[in-house]
Amino acid sequence: MTTQPPLDGRTVSTGGLRVAGDSHVGKVRTTNEDAMVVEPERNLYAVFDGMGGANAGDVASQTARDAISSYVAHRRGMDPKSLLEQALQHGCHAVFSASQANRDHAGMGTTAVACMIVDNTRAIVAHVGDSRAYLLRNGRLQALTRDHTIVEELVDKGLLSLDEAERHPYKNVLSRNLGARPETRVDVVEIELRPGDRMLLCSDGLYGYASAEAIQYLLGSGDAPEHVARDLIELALRGGGGDNVSAIVIEAPPAPPTSTQVVRTSGALAWWQRRQRFLQIARERGLTRNPIVRGLDAEEALDLVALSLCQAIFHDLEKSTGVNVWTFAQNLAGGWFERGGEWAPLRGMIDILGMSARSVVDEIRAADPPLGFLIDVAVSRALVVAELALGGLLAERLRHIDGELIALHGAMQETIDVLPPLEETTNSGEFVEQQTIPFMRPDRVMTNPGGVSPETISAIEKVLTIARARTPPRAEAVKQILTALQAISSDDGGHFSSAVLAAREIYGVRTVDDSGIMPLFDALDQARIMTASSVHQISATDVVKAKALRAISFAHQRLVSAVTGLVLEAVSPFADRLRDAQALTVQLRDQVSGTERKRADLEKKFAETIDQSLPWEKRGETEW
Amino acid sequence: MGDMTEDSAEFIDRVRVLRDEVLATAEHGDRDPPGAEVFEALLRALQIGGDSLASGLDLGLHDAVTRRLAWGDSEEVLLADAEMVFDRIMTATERAFREPADRMVIVEAATQVAVTVARVVSLAAVQRAARDRAARLREEMAQRQLKDVIGKQRASLMRLEYETRTDQE
Repeated sequence: MTTQPPLDGRTVSTGGLRVAGDSHVGKVRTTNEDAMVVEPERNLYAVFDGMGGANAGDVASQTARDAISSYVAHRRGMDPKSLLEQALQHGCHAVFSASQANRDHAGMGTTAVACMIVDNTRAIVAHVGDSRAYLLRNGRLQALTRDHTIVEELVDKGLLSLDEAERHPYKNVLSRNLGARPETRVDVVEIELRPGDRMLLCSDGLYGYASAEAIQYLLGSGDAPEHVARDLIELALRGGGGDNVSAIVIEAPPAPPTSTQVVRTSGALAWWQRRQRFLQIARERGLTRNPIVRGLDAEEALDLVALSLCQAIFHDLEKSTGVNVWTFAQNLAGGWFERGGEWAPLRGMIDILGMSARSVVDEIRAADPPLGFLIDVAVSRALVVAELALGGLLAERLRHIDGELIALHGAMQETIDVLPPLEETTNSGEFVEQQTIPFMRPDRVMTNPGGVSPETISAIEKVLTIARARTPPRAEAVKQILTALQAISSDDGGHFSSAVLAAREIYGVRTVDDSGIMPLFDALDQARIMTASSVHQISATDVVKAKALRAISFAHQRLVSAVTGLVLEAVSPFADRLRDAQALTVQLRDQVSGTERKRADLEKKFAETIDQSLPWEKRGETEW
Repeated sequence: MGDMTEDSAEFIDRVRVLRDEVLATAEHGDRDPPGAEVFEALLRALQIGGDSLASGLDLGLHDAVTRRLAWGDSEEVLLADAEMVFDRIMTATERAFREPADRMVIVEAATQVAVTVARVVSLAAVQRAARDRAARLREEMAQRQLKDVIGKQRASLMRLEYETRTDQE
């Protein structure tokens, strides 16, 4: 059986593996003694370089080629490594037999480098002689074979240095080949084949006339294997072409695309192709009637809102980000709120867009389930991003409203404070003003004229960061206090409410005795010491340090007062209960004395009754 | 205190000058102005100087607070006075001391005193609560005894009423 090599250099492809081979007689020789096997159906690839005078070289290489190819074709199910090794032994025996049978062919032989690809994940390389196999992985070229030459073996045994080997007159004399003897030693290596790997099988006509760097460059060029094989041959010819040149380039299948890549490419495309459908669904669901787009044409409204979102999702799918959808949602909601819009229409608009997107995704999923699944995940993520953007905007609005309410409340309290007492304006004598504990008034303004400057706030943050870092890990209360101090001291409004709130959190639930309360003050004292010493460690001017310390000290004093207020609040029921108990005791004592008086009256009455019953002269002597 | 340098003595004198302003002594005539104990504690904290960062209880302040509580001032009033003095010290310091380092020393001491006052007041309140709790227990025991007595008195009354009625018949 004769296998003709694809000398036209065409690339053959099987299971994602791409292979191309090319051979050339060279510029000096008249016959091409090289032979090749390129059999994708058996995953067998090989290069042979025949030797021997009077046309025997090409006979040897072709005999070996045919024998090996036939051997592999008729032995299925064998372990690939053993199969390849035995195939080369079989080729050796065939060449030897042929040389013995014909005197003209006596002494002929051939090199061989053969490769078998298993499951596109492993490559088994067997070789005899000086034909080589190379692997290009991650841009690096490495030889998989070692030449079987006499000089090489002398180097291996330490009898020759590398420099001597380069200059040795017998450096090209083979120590092994197929055909010199009935059997030979075959070297076999197995490597894992990774996506993108490239292998090169070649005769010495290539590497003998081209540098390793040039081979590496061409092999790693990314061109199709057929172009690479052709260019390699060209390279050897330009280098002199003193020998026959053969090269087979094998390219491992590329890695399967990741889900992200699928979404970025076909996912984004599938989404964009259905944009008209998206607009149609949005229109059907009433997007054009939403108050947000009131005053716009239906087409204009669809373009402005639905198409913008469609584009944003497309770009986010393409780039695996969420920034476009985020920006879209923020612009839509921000613009609406700035116009004084209410929440409900915005919610309605987002719902319409979300449901339209889901419908489109469902349609993609029906057409292509795996792609639809990936798009579903990606579009869901985009919609979540939109919701998050809305949430952020709402939180911001809430903060504003909160600030306005606090300011309003403060202004209201100030107004109440300057009003004349209620007793003077009304005639009702029943009104009793509740006692106001000064330090518990949340609206009390700090003595902090001009507020806290950004520079001071920055210094405060630094001081408290240092203090926190110096706090022992288990001193949770101290850390809590330091955090509270930051909030209170940076409060530009200068209100006391943050101190009261923080105090309540720090106080938590505790027993009203020394062991419950005193640790609280220990922590407050510890926090004070930490901040006072940390303020000297920040890099700032003395003026800024002084301002930061002043603000922190104010905050500390307010916090301490608020905590003490809570302690007093906690102890007040004890006094009330004692008063109640004392009142009850007094009541019981009164009851006892009342009963005692009544008993005395009765005894007196009883004595009188007895006295009446006595003779006259004995009366008046009865005691009661 | 014996280790005070001339400089620190002079510094404390400069703070002492602020007494009238901080305590508004003119408004109170011959009486001790409210919060005087806080200002005195501040001066003591400044005298201790380098140790002013240390945590601890100022016994002088403790005595003064206890005395005021014994005279009938409530803890709330004491705390409000301390807060007022603190605020005024901060304002007066801003005005009277040009050097940031001097201001920082006073602010540190004032904060220390504020925490100490709060601690003493809280301690007093907690101890009062403990006394109240014990007194309530005693009251409850007395109430149980009184209830026993009332029970016996009622039985005695019933017997007397019965005997008186029988004798009259």
